[in-house]
Amino acid sequence: MRFTPRSSEVAVSLLAVLCAAAVLALPACGKKDSKNPPAAQTPAVTAPRVVGIELGNELKSDNRVAEAMSTFAVNDVIYVAVMTEGNSPSAAVTARWTYGDGQPVNETTRTVVLSGPATTEFHISKPGGWPTGAYKVEILLNGASMRTAQFEVR
Amino acid sequence: MADPKDPKKPRPDFSDVQSGSSSTARPAPLPPSAPLPPPAAERTYTVVAGDNLSKISKKFYGESKRWRRIFDANKDTIENPDLIYPGQVLKIPND
Repeated sequence: MRFTPRSSEVAVSLLAVLCAAAVLALPACGKKDSKNPPAAQTPAVTAPRVVGIELGNELKSDNRVAEAMSTFAVNDVIYVAVMTEGNSPSAAVTARWTYGDGQPVNETTRTVVLSGPATTEFHISKPGGWPTGAYKVEILLNGASMRTAQFEVR
Repeated sequence: MADPKDPKKPRPDFSDVQSGSSSTARPAPLPPSAPLPPPAAERTYTVVAGDNLSKISKKFYGESKRWRRIFDANKDTIENPDLIYPGQVLKIPND
């Protein structure tokens, strides 16, 4: 087969036309995409969960403890900050405090609406002062044990 | 009560412990209280010959002395408690 210069010219012209069409079409495609932005992002619906707890004797305005501690003085107010995530129209957060081999000290439940990260604090105090020894706080979410932390009063 | 590990050592008393809590999450609304049961339908009684309020009271309440309760509930139709008429429909308040 004989290759003529004319056919080569035609091929080049066709290629140029196709490229020009492509160049023209690209912005149009981009424009079309901009008319259909991605769907608005909505917070993911997740089951509520406890993501952390902290003990301390002082609380900040965001319900977190000023300084994480594990040893307290007999006259301290003892705080536990419970960090949660997830969504729930009614989540019961409980702090169960015990002494020594499990002697009950206090149990408090707070029922909240969870719609993302939140911090719930519980605190206990004893006017006559805490007996020295080992203590434990157990955090429950809707009755299920989530976290425990041990601390000492000296 | 004594400490199980050391029977001589009394267990501490935590009855005076004070507690509280707060949250950055808003409190959950209280569950709606159970709806009140609908009031029982009011009974009626049609007077027959020989009836009087004491008799009707005994019939419905088990004792004749509560006739005034029926009289009070029917003051719009009974002027004299000694005069009721056959065919008269009386409201009988619930016990």
